Amino acid sequence: MKIKLKHKLLLSFILACNSPAFADDHEHEHHPQQSAASAPSTDSIFNITDNWTAANGNTFQLGALGGKPTVIAMVYTSCQYVCPLTVQNIKRIERSLGAAKAANVNFALFSLDPERDTPAKLSEFAKLHGITNQSWTLAQGNASSIRKLAVTLGVKYKKVESGDYEHDATIFILDKDGVVKYQADAMNKNMNGASDAVKALLK
Amino acid sequence: MLSNKSKLVSLLALPAVLIYGAAVLAEEMVMIPQGNYSPFFLKKELVNNSTATKIKIDAFWMDAAPVTNLQFQAFVSQHPDWHPTNIKKIFSDSHYLDHWQNTHGTANTADLNKANLDAPVVNVSWFAAAAYCEAQDKRLPSTDEWEYTLNDNDRDKENLQKQIIRWYSVPNRAPLAVKSQPANGFGIFDLAGLIWEWTADFNSYMAPPDSRNSGDKTQFCGSGSLSASNLDDYAAFMRYSYRESLKGNFTGKNLGFRCAKDAK
Repeated sequence: MKIKLKHKLLLSFILACNSPAFADDHEHEHHPQQSAASAPSTDSIFNITDNWTAANGNTFQLGALGGKPTVIAMVYTSCQYVCPLTVQNIKRIERSLGAAKAANVNFALFSLDPERDTPAKLSEFAKLHGITNQSWTLAQGNASSIRKLAVTLGVKYKKVESGDYEHDATIFILDKDGVVKYQADAMNKNMNGASDAVKALLK
Repeated sequence: MLSNKSKLVSLLALPAVLIYGAAVLAEEMVMIPQGNYSPFFLKKELVNNSTATKIKIDAFWMDAAPVTNLQFQAFVSQHPDWHPTNIKKIFSDSHYLDHWQNTHGTANTADLNKANLDAPVVNVSWFAAAAYCEAQDKRLPSTDEWEYTLNDNDRDKENLQKQIIRWYSVPNRAPLAVKSQPANGFGIFDLAGLIWEWTADFNSYMAPPDSRNSGDKTQFCGSGSLSASNLDDYAAFMRYSYRESLKGNFTGKNLGFRCAKDAK
């Protein structure tokens, strides 16, 4: 995966640096994930309690996505290339499940753009992409809730002068308890791995 | 000891403090005036045409010093969710507040010895740092705000860079008390020399914007660094690389934070 490779390269750079702080964090790189599995509830992104506004205007928290596996990505609707492709790939995952199974899965798009992506804009975007299914959620947050979710998921992003966002394009699969179980490069043409990950969570 | 310049800044900040009332204490925060600075990373085309490549920073309040063990201890006792025994795994790795652990391996804030109380709190994740600032009705500074504050209007820039590089090269040791070194021109202490600091958007995407379509260029260590605005500023390169390598749940023996606040 592209993102993993990037971290490895950075890590090798860090190892090459004879700096105390760098050394600390290298050490940490190896530990945290191993112990993480023992208490799933405290690993859940549902521990974040910020409010989001859905395209229909309803306020909700991440915990509302509980009870079903969720396919989630961070996008913004003014995005010309990466985000439409991300949405198409999530729809590809949805189709691969078949209608019956897809009804037991949440699909959620969280906007990176708190200014422009109002509920009305999100509704428009949904219509444009033929998203009519109830199992989809499109959400607007504020700058702080967006940053917190992005940090939690490990999505890097930066607003540039044009008002657009540079960002990682990753599709995440959460289990019904809000724990990240799988990540796919959203630019990948093959979503079989993500699809299998969702199917496994439905068993 | 305060320099003349920092005394001046304190005096200038005082009326604003009076306006904003007791929520902001003069000795804790300093008003950083608006200004321009050149961030380390810029668009390639901007760097190439070598015209002024500054970005505007709005005025904001900045903590004069990093958050100390004493301050963080008070926060933890008021917000038990952030006690080492209660913290959710998604919010921190297993080394959270390691330096607070007693010999029995259980975190006990009472075990903090007097000498450590005024040292910056370290071994805190981004989530814990952000939660602390929110609890004070503050926020973490943005990377641009933090770098702008360190940049100090280019005052004594070469010396600053040398000083930082010297600090980066010394072996790891427990941080000393805050405010042991002179403040910079803004009246801000300990931006370099004690700890590394979290910023709100440490996870910003720092590669040049055109990198996405050009394969290997997304790698920081490769051609991404060629667009750096100042290739001589190795210290800045180190900081950006370090931030880039972090994840929100990481902690480090030399990684702490300070808070900021909008001027409005």
